[in-house]
Amino acid sequence: MKKCDVICPFCGCLCDDLEITVEDNRILGVDNGCTLANAKFMGKERLTSPIRRTDGGWEDINYDEAIRYTVDMLLDADRPLLYGWSGTHGEAQCIGVHMCELVGGIIDSTTSVCHGPSILAIQEVGHPGCTLGQVKNRADVVIYWGCNPLEAHPRHMSRYTTYADGYFLDNAFRDRTVVVVDVRETETARVADEFVRIKQGGDYAVLSALRAIVRGKGDMIPPSVAGVPRSQLERIVRMCKDAKFGAVFFGLGLTMTKGKYKNIRNAIELVDELSRHTKFTITPMRGHWNVYGSNEVFTWMTGYPYAIDFCRGIAFYNPGETSAIDILARKECDACMIIGSDPGAHFPRKCVEHLADIPTVVIDPVPTMTTAMANVQIPVAVSGIDAEGTAYRMDGVPFRVKKVIEPTLPSDTEVLGDMFARMKEAKGL
Amino acid sequence: MKFILNTGRSITQGRHVEHKFHRGYSEETSTCFIHPLDLLDLDMEEGEHVEVTSECGSVVLRTVNCEDLRRGMIFVPMGPFANHIIPSHTHSTGMPDFKSIPVELEYTDAERSTQWDLMEKIGGQRYEKM
Repeated sequence: MKKCDVICPFCGCLCDDLEITVEDNRILGVDNGCTLANAKFMGKERLTSPIRRTDGGWEDINYDEAIRYTVDMLLDADRPLLYGWSGTHGEAQCIGVHMCELVGGIIDSTTSVCHGPSILAIQEVGHPGCTLGQVKNRADVVIYWGCNPLEAHPRHMSRYTTYADGYFLDNAFRDRTVVVVDVRETETARVADEFVRIKQGGDYAVLSALRAIVRGKGDMIPPSVAGVPRSQLERIVRMCKDAKFGAVFFGLGLTMTKGKYKNIRNAIELVDELSRHTKFTITPMRGHWNVYGSNEVFTWMTGYPYAIDFCRGIAFYNPGETSAIDILARKECDACMIIGSDPGAHFPRKCVEHLADIPTVVIDPVPTMTTAMANVQIPVAVSGIDAEGTAYRMDGVPFRVKKVIEPTLPSDTEVLGDMFARMKEAKGL
Repeated sequence: MKFILNTGRSITQGRHVEHKFHRGYSEETSTCFIHPLDLLDLDMEEGEHVEVTSECGSVVLRTVNCEDLRRGMIFVPMGPFANHIIPSHTHSTGMPDFKSIPVELEYTDAERSTQWDLMEKIGGQRYEKM
């Protein structure tokens, strides 16, 4: 049986046109998906039971024991960290916020190691964004800055930019100009109309130069800025000013490099300058499936998008202090629950070392690098495959994600809901 | 020789995100992409191993020629190998410098670790029942 219009649960594109072949509650094939989607849907190496670390090995335990361990761990901790949340749906994120408030802990999502700096910049100067549908149908100039969609968001260019038809473009492939700005000449750079190669850490200077040229101050610009000739910068500004609708997409090449959120602020202000001449928008290339949803859920529940600390009894937000990397590097938390992410693989070693020193529970369908640092791992159904819920696309559009097979394991919502009920009971609430 | 370490997604790394115990994940994330002329300066051939050392540690990686890079920069797909030598300071932003770490490269005949070896070195416990 073929299930149509299935939403992919891998990256922030949330492609909603997948066709999944299912027989006897097993996925046999994926059509329209990229290689990342195929690997996600066809993966067969899930845990089937909770596991607990023993001396030199692992043992299977039941859900009741695993949930009891987690509840006791969170209630006993002075400063628990509840981290991850990007791989799960909004309903589970909601319960996570309630749990965190109850135990006076810190809740943070993978935002703090992807587009956290983008949010800091947006809080300073706003976000002139739009939906991906607007880009697909209108944009005649697209700039990818510090990102490599062909490898990180493989269908972004075919669904929304380079290879997509546009309602208001006669011949979208010919009429659309794609510019890539990067320190590496990636696959994406090779298919672009114009590649701007900048020196590592030169983003802020190049953005400032572009703003100066847009403002008519190009004569102040030296012949080369961070390795980019002035003539190329001038050509790009002409291209942008002549555009009917321009769209900037930026990735971790801007957020993780020198300057961090100031790079994003400068990029937003460039878009602001260009919008005095034509229509321009800017969108972060959110990587981890529902990471945008974690920001939405956390914001409407606590007032803050990530790195929220409840130790004062109220929500407190100060990235750099209350963000997961800093909390772990300072060895500040004394217990950690991780859901829908893999800090064992993606956090600096010093942070991962601390996870081995404290009680750690992982809620994840498959063994990850974080499994190695955990005391207990609880497998769950995968959102978008055998669990359903709400997820947000990188442009902030929410989708109801359905399941394609019947679950054999509980969902994140069920596991967290059970934990929260037991925690309330223990607190007499 | 001194280099700047850049890390990020590669399609092979992405394919293994939910299959991290596979050899393919370990192979990809322990690869050091380097400009062929830089490799020549190191007096090395593609496929030989380098010890990459930052201010907070070192790790052994396999070299692969890559002309996408400027000279002086190496690229390692994101994962436990790169993070083994990435410092944790965030300059009060919450975000470490994942893309611009000064490192030193030196030829080594040492073998690469596996992803589980790295985890065990820092107090973890491998899970290999799959």
